[in-house]
Amino acid sequence: MIQKFNYVAPKSLNSALKILSENKNAKVLAGGTDIIPGFHIESRRFIDTELLVDIKKIQNLHAIKERKDFVEIGACVTFAELAENELIRKYFPLLAKAAETVGSVQIRNRATIVGNFVNNAPCADSVPPLLVYDAKIQIQSLKKTREISLQKFLIKPYATALKKGEVVTKIILPKPDENFVGDFYKLGRRRAVAISRISLAVLMRKKDGLIDEIRIASGAVTPIGTRLYELEKFAKNQIANSDTFKELAIMLGEKVLEITGLRWSSEYKLPVLQQVFYQLLEKVNRNEK
Amino acid sequence: MKEKFNVVGKPVVRPDGKEKVTGEAKFADDYKFPNMLFGVMVRTKATHALIKKIDYSEIENHPSLITIVDANDIKGLKKTGLIRKDQPVFAFEKIVTPGDAVAMLVGDDEDELRLLAKKVKVELEELPVLTDPRKALDENAPLIHPEFGSNLIVHHPLRKGDIEKGFAESEFILEQTYTTPHIEHAYIEPECVTAIPLEGDKGIHIIGSIQNPFSARRIVAEVLGFPLNRVKIEQAELGGSFGGKDDIMCILSARAAIAALKTRRPVKIKYTREESILESYKRHPYIMHYKVGYNRDGKIKAMKIDIIADGGAYCSMTPFVTWRSVVQATGPYEIENVWTDVRGVYTNNPYTGAMRGFGSPQIIFAQESMMDDIAVSLGMTPDEIRKINGYKQGSVTASGQRLENHEVNLRKVLETACEATNFREKWLENEKHHNRRIPTIEFKERIQKRNLILEKDEFVHPDDVWKKGIGLAVSFRGSSLGAEGVDAAASYLSIQNDGSAYLLCGLAENGQGMKTTYAIIVSEVLGIPVENIYYLELTTAHIPDSGPTVASRSTLMGGGAVKNAAEVLRKRFEDFLRDYWQLSNEDIIVFENNRVYVKGKENLIISFPEFASIAYKNSICLASIGWYPGPKIHWNEENGHGSAYFTYVYGCQVAEVRVNIVTGEVYVDRVVAVHDPGKVINLLGALGQVYGGVTQGTGYALFEELDKHNGYPRELNFDQYIIPTSKDIGEIVPIFIEGKDEFGPWGAKSLGEPTLELTSAAINNAIRNAVGERYFNLPVNLEEVILKRKLRPEDLKRGSL
Amino acid sequence: MKSKSLKKVRVKFNLNCRQVEIETKPNKRLIDLLREDFGLTGTKEGCSIGECGACTVLVNGNAVNSCLVLAGEVDGARVITIEGIAKNGTLHPLQENFLKHGAVQCGFCTPGMILSAYALLLKKQSADEEEIKEAIAGNLCRCTGYKQIIEAIKYTIKEMSEKQA
Repeated sequence: MIQKFNYVAPKSLNSALKILSENKNAKVLAGGTDIIPGFHIESRRFIDTELLVDIKKIQNLHAIKERKDFVEIGACVTFAELAENELIRKYFPLLAKAAETVGSVQIRNRATIVGNFVNNAPCADSVPPLLVYDAKIQIQSLKKTREISLQKFLIKPYATALKKGEVVTKIILPKPDENFVGDFYKLGRRRAVAISRISLAVLMRKKDGLIDEIRIASGAVTPIGTRLYELEKFAKNQIANSDTFKELAIMLGEKVLEITGLRWSSEYKLPVLQQVFYQLLEKVNRNEK
Repeated sequence: MKEKFNVVGKPVVRPDGKEKVTGEAKFADDYKFPNMLFGVMVRTKATHALIKKIDYSEIENHPSLITIVDANDIKGLKKTGLIRKDQPVFAFEKIVTPGDAVAMLVGDDEDELRLLAKKVKVELEELPVLTDPRKALDENAPLIHPEFGSNLIVHHPLRKGDIEKGFAESEFILEQTYTTPHIEHAYIEPECVTAIPLEGDKGIHIIGSIQNPFSARRIVAEVLGFPLNRVKIEQAELGGSFGGKDDIMCILSARAAIAALKTRRPVKIKYTREESILESYKRHPYIMHYKVGYNRDGKIKAMKIDIIADGGAYCSMTPFVTWRSVVQATGPYEIENVWTDVRGVYTNNPYTGAMRGFGSPQIIFAQESMMDDIAVSLGMTPDEIRKINGYKQGSVTASGQRLENHEVNLRKVLETACEATNFREKWLENEKHHNRRIPTIEFKERIQKRNLILEKDEFVHPDDVWKKGIGLAVSFRGSSLGAEGVDAAASYLSIQNDGSAYLLCGLAENGQGMKTTYAIIVSEVLGIPVENIYYLELTTAHIPDSGPTVASRSTLMGGGAVKNAAEVLRKRFEDFLRDYWQLSNEDIIVFENNRVYVKGKENLIISFPEFASIAYKNSICLASIGWYPGPKIHWNEENGHGSAYFTYVYGCQVAEVRVNIVTGEVYVDRVVAVHDPGKVINLLGALGQVYGGVTQGTGYALFEELDKHNGYPRELNFDQYIIPTSKDIGEIVPIFIEGKDEFGPWGAKSLGEPTLELTSAAINNAIRNAVGERYFNLPVNLEEVILKRKLRPEDLKRGSL
Repeated sequence: MKSKSLKKVRVKFNLNCRQVEIETKPNKRLIDLLREDFGLTGTKEGCSIGECGACTVLVNGNAVNSCLVLAGEVDGARVITIEGIAKNGTLHPLQENFLKHGAVQCGFCTPGMILSAYALLLKKQSADEEEIKEAIAGNLCRCTGYKQIIEAIKYTIKEMSEKQA
């Protein structure tokens, strides 16, 4: 069943922000693929929602724009649009790959990437790639516009730094150095339409056989998607070989265990996580430019 | 025996297909009636509790509420059931499982009713919960239905030969225990039914997603206290069933009927997926202990089998499901000494009943896995061991039945499958490469100590991750109901004056293509083109009780009845023509391609439409009722002896898989499915049964389980209960061997269930061939492959951690 | 929310090539709008959470789960349901081939399945088996094992490209 709420579709961002600031039980509606099922299962997160503010009629929220050093993704860009977009495929291949693996064709045609991380489920697939690409987001309210790193924006499962009356309007992705190679990995219980049990994003740049810079983010194994700065620091200037990769994998296992403690799924997830991370590093290393 | 066929065995487009591809086909929820109301269930959060009081006071005067129905509104039997009367239409004494409903709210706003349902206060006295079937027969186990004095639903014993002597004479003994989980039918259409009160004393009309209209009629009639002819059950287009829309639909039909008669308005019940999974019955979980004695030459001397089936909160079909298991538990093997006990028990878990396979997928998983282990222990190949022990023409089964009135094609299906897959060569090749086994199994002691960080030498290089394996499984299956009950089917064929025809069979279309099969049969006998046959809507008023659409009996029994109806007319028409055309007894009359003619006499030919018109004008009755009773079978309940089924089918499936030794992923690259279903009548339908059955069998093997927390199902929708998508299985290759049989239409027997029951064993054996590890617990999912057990969260909360 | 009243929404959209306009409850889902208000019962509800795809319709040429779309969201959009696939009683090649290849059993997933295939054909002139499987991965089928459905779609692609040539 679906609860009672009102629906508006303002044509300008200003109207939307005004409505959100005036109605404390209003929520932004973008793709609807989290909210509507949420209503159906009577999720506590939506039980007080009385007004849905559909932002899809707001013109400039749908664009993917290229700037000199950045690419901007509007709040209403869907996973389908992301996966097909030339700019994304060129500059942010991990994001394109992650976008392709979310849900099904039907879900990807509606679900927005911004909605995905604003919802911030532990298994949000957009988060690890966005983190390794050092994503920043722009948030607007009636009173001001601010920018914040995605990392800082995500607080804990289903909770972000979004305040009442605010809307995330775009993602700002700095174009990475072209010498980076990387990959995105996702493990689910079946081959399609699967909730992630483990997801990993890795970007690596080598110099003379040494790891010059590496960026690592994990999803679904920790309460929220996480950049693993300690591993990245350790890896700098290590030889890019199997031995190093195994050490990094062991460190990942230890770090995740430290964050989550022993959970009911740890006996499966921890050994598997270390193995697939190691293998991901080997694969990325083979793809080197 | 007819050898050349015009329509049988050819690809025929299903006559009921057009409405399905245009969206015009009407399923249960597509029906709307004027003045219609909705019914919404009231449930509690308890698993096992006495009901002390139901308090409706908070909602009684709500404007959206037209009425409330509960057990007090029942004029007939308050407790019903297909075999044992232990299932209340509305719970009134106690709650025995989380799916139980205590009442139904009736009104015209479904959403409003759902809100109101939460405000009904039910005062309960909690009782201890029983969820482990192994404890069900303990002295101090809580009794689920105290009136029966015990949690034992049924015990089927089978004794053959001398089991102790058999073991004493065996050189080797192998003992293993296998388990299978609760499985959800997962038909894409959730349950839906509408009851419409009829005018005057005509009773009630019920239309819904009902697999077995006659069973539903019987239950509804006894709940309402009506004679059978006052309950008209009509089957809407059914969105899949697989055995699952039987008991639950009987109960929902009864609930809707009670409300409809009380309000004198149509009442519709429409379940959400969550309600469907919460309340509807499941496949029985089995715990199977096998002890097998065998010799160096591969001959099995003795088999002792002990099975506990979790019957859940209600009896449902447990006695029959477990009966099939006791007949088939040894597998298709000649064994002198057999001692089998199958027991079904009550627990507070979701109740379990019929599901495609009906007690066979579980036992085949166990016994076919064991056969491979026996082969390996003797240095033999899996096909060798089956050839040494498998049934041949004239073999005697465990229940003492000689297999002789049909072609016993076990060996043929096995050999065909092995040849098509180059089985032996691949299997032997894979056996050599077990040097890289599952790492986590190798260091499992550390894992048990929760030391989960890997050592450097435990990492697996990406190139070494996937291991390939090939495995097979064989089965035999008794066709139709066997000793379960009255086995007969009816059909109605009415030719119209212009040669078009109406057809109806008492066995219901579940989507598998029965209407097509029946139309093909009529077409073959009378030459009427399939597109001139209009298949009528099935209601219990218009055709005699033909029993349930189960046991893969629709083609065999229903087809037999349809063929009978067509042949009755054919004889009548021939007799008429011999007279009308002044023919001799030697003249052969042919009905083919919408024409009737006499062989060798070119001038004696008319179109079938012309013939129908002439016959009608000559007062020939153009309609008939067909009837096909199964031959009598015999069964001794005390020792499990008798001719359990009147005929059998055989199958062999070979699965080729790849296993990821670090994640536990298993991908099925190919399944070659060789089946002897007797004569294949509906080719497209038969192929569909193989593709569909193997896919369901793959889900059973690798993904599906309904886990519970204190009896409460954890996976309430398809995001958690995982069934295969289009990407989850590779190639499926069906091969049919048409064994000869004296029963059924031209020897057509069964296919629907054999296709599903074999796959999980074939996959399990393929996994063993790939990684050298034997798995005992379905599903062989990620954790099972890596850890050899399942991991469970401590509560019902969702989440991927 | 008990006290607050619901404000109806007015939706103007193109439904199966016909311009329509309707006023309805703000929390009405597209699937209910189609099935109840427009009597188009070909679109089916199997799970209500966007997992099974039985409710698939096309919105602006994209396959979506209509159980996850609100009525208001299709204002100004083009919506195609299974009832809009055949033209003037003539079946679309996809529908013909589904029938010819035995791709229909119980038929409950069929409308959604055909629309997902139709959406694929709108975007691509050719597709290999993997792409076809991906296009229908969000449409669960419990009866057919998908094989004959994939064959039907493959055959349609071949037929349609030969017709173009």
